[in-house]
Amino acid sequence: MPFNVWTRMSARRRLAGLCLLVAMPVGASRAIAQPPQPAANGCIACHAAQTDPRLSAPAALFTQPDVHRDNGFGCVDCHGGSASATEARVAHAATQGFKGKPTGQAQVATCARCHSDAALMRRYAPRQRVDQATEYAASVHGQRLANGDHNVATCASCHHAHGIRRVSDAKSPVFPTNVANTCAACHADTKRMAGYTLSGGAALPTRQHADYRQSVHYTALTKRNDLSAPTCNDCHGNHGAAPPGVGAVTNVCGTCHAVFAQKFAASVHQPIFDKGCVECHGNHAVAAPSDQMLTAGAGGACTACHTAGDASDKGAAAADTLRTGIARLKTEIDDAGSLIRRIRNAGIEVSNEQLALREAGTKLTLARTEMHRFEVAPVEAILADGMKVVESVDRAGAKGVAELRFRRRGLAASLGAILIFVVALGLKIRQLDRRDPGHGATPAG
Amino acid sequence: MTVLDWLDERVDLRGVRHFVAEKGVPLHAQKAWYYLGGMTLFLFVVQIFTGILLLLYYRPSAAEAYESVQFIVSEVEFGWLIRNLHSWSANLLIGLAFAHFFSVFFLKSYRKPRELTWVSGVLLLFLMLGFGFSGYLLPWNELAFFATKVGTGIAGAVPLVGPFALRLLRGGDDVTGATLSRFYGLHVAVLPAITTALVAVHLLLVQRQGMSVPIGVERRLRPGERLPQMPFFPNYILRDVLAWYVVIAVLAALAAFYPWELGTKADSFAPVPAGIRPEWYFLATFHTLKLIPSHVLGIEGEHLGVVGFGMVAIVLVLIPFLDRRASRGESSRLFTLLAALGLLYLVSFTIIGHFAK
Repeated sequence: MPFNVWTRMSARRRLAGLCLLVAMPVGASRAIAQPPQPAANGCIACHAAQTDPRLSAPAALFTQPDVHRDNGFGCVDCHGGSASATEARVAHAATQGFKGKPTGQAQVATCARCHSDAALMRRYAPRQRVDQATEYAASVHGQRLANGDHNVATCASCHHAHGIRRVSDAKSPVFPTNVANTCAACHADTKRMAGYTLSGGAALPTRQHADYRQSVHYTALTKRNDLSAPTCNDCHGNHGAAPPGVGAVTNVCGTCHAVFAQKFAASVHQPIFDKGCVECHGNHAVAAPSDQMLTAGAGGACTACHTAGDASDKGAAAADTLRTGIARLKTEIDDAGSLIRRIRNAGIEVSNEQLALREAGTKLTLARTEMHRFEVAPVEAILADGMKVVESVDRAGAKGVAELRFRRRGLAASLGAILIFVVALGLKIRQLDRRDPGHGATPAG
Repeated sequence: MTVLDWLDERVDLRGVRHFVAEKGVPLHAQKAWYYLGGMTLFLFVVQIFTGILLLLYYRPSAAEAYESVQFIVSEVEFGWLIRNLHSWSANLLIGLAFAHFFSVFFLKSYRKPRELTWVSGVLLLFLMLGFGFSGYLLPWNELAFFATKVGTGIAGAVPLVGPFALRLLRGGDDVTGATLSRFYGLHVAVLPAITTALVAVHLLLVQRQGMSVPIGVERRLRPGERLPQMPFFPNYILRDVLAWYVVIAVLAALAAFYPWELGTKADSFAPVPAGIRPEWYFLATFHTLKLIPSHVLGIEGEHLGVVGFGMVAIVLVLIPFLDRRASRGESSRLFTLLAALGLLYLVSFTIIGHFAK
């Protein structure tokens, strides 16, 4: 009988519990005038003493950093019951509003009681949204839960029930770098996902997390600490989690890659590509894009639809033209960069040329962006602008090399003159020394 | 009638002519060390000339300093050469000043009657370090900006007067354009004025007292015996000129093959770049301060270090008055050992400081 623990407590623990009870009214009266403090309550004292980890773990977690505890909320605010009762029977009485452990819809309702109350949330987190429960109800998780599937994620699945940290806390399971692991806890679990299907009827895959870990997005987020890089919820939503439909993929990618999405929307591929961006870049395992993708040949992204070397395939020819042009500008920028670095290391001031090279780099980026329209002429116009900038840098570089040559020749000439003078001076000194090897010496003895 | 005759008619030059004709330099095995002082002086003159030329274009404000140096090295005809000569000769000057200092220390040339020559020389060495510290910030680049932050921070650790010294140096709580203005004023007006006066005193004393003869050489002389002398003019002065030409050749080669980098413009909001360290001549001091624990016997480590270096500086100035044996013309092994330890410390800590992360 786990609830009548009070009667089985040691005298020392009872005393501690009574002390807490005595202290409570004082704390309550302070709470009116001061910011809420963690509530001292009998629930913690009693649960901490439990040997069953299911009962003791919440007490242990609630004594660690917890956003609710830090804002003065206690166990009874979610679980009901009485924190001041000295007996488990009284504390857990239905007359005290005791609800036990809320699960499923009850859990969502428990959280929503405060988190959907704009007036209440304004007191604790004024900038936080209050539509999470509404969004959740519309999500795949929420809809399945409403249909009686208790296997789906609810609030506590992602945020935890106790020891809840703010989203901005790096240890929070919903901090950007932790989101993928949190989702993978269920979505990479083949047993848990068994029986779930995609809209087409195929089994729901469980490779998403493994694929995502190979992606350029994962690298940016976890290796470069770029918190703006996308993780699961950035494409699928969080509270309103749902897979983006076929027609929505481009919109999802376009939230970050806006210009690419805009160019693609105007391209010949837009009506053809069912999966939008995913057709070439993939979804979870998005690899770092490269110019080599732009070919109908081996390793290219155009292979599925176009044939390399087929003169009648205008798309393959266009891809080659685009790739060659872009590669040429890149090579020219790299070469000019090497030249500028070389003369900079030799002491020639090149900040204007470095600036120009940055402009050429911008042109290269613009060309790579414009390429998503899959029209040759606009890309070639941008590439031509970039080449003009590189040519001006090359001219300045050649001038710098000439200047360096001039400096070194000038130095060699002046060093030669100095050497002749030094030799002449040395001969003169020798002549003088021979004439007067030292005077004024007083011979010894 | 020559110009000298013309001058002699108006200003009696007999005294000067006599001095030049009679002045001799004692000949002995260690006489090569005498040239270091002349080379240091020559580099000081190079500094003055190149500094004046740089002043024609340099603009001492946080907004324009970096750009003006950039303009000098890229747009001004031979501006790159002048800036490189100024930077390289500054470093060679400090290197040679240290070499001169240690040669005088080892040869005990500071002993009676040349105590004041030593004092003025040590003060000149400190002034050269001041020139280096103040001039380093003037291009207003990233490395100099943060190194000055660290350097002035060390000055702020001087007990009692530290906070005042820090504000005085920085012109506020942080390194800003106000610091640049102050350092500029120090570098082009205050320090040159004091240095020129001290150099004049130093040279006057050297000329008045003549070259010192090492104790060992002096003790080997029999009573009444004098060392053979080399005529100062022209034999010695031509050797000096030859040494100066060698310095010019080294400077020109360094300026052309190892140009002084300008770096990136200082940005007070930028994160501190990795590997911030002062110029090489402050590395030993900087590294020592880094090694001192934060607290030693309840005293703050940095305070202890700064006070320690202050004490060392005072002791260095007072060396001729502390080395009584040398002043009596007796060999002074303790001070030779001190000089050797000082040299070993400076060289090893500079190398360690350079490679330390």
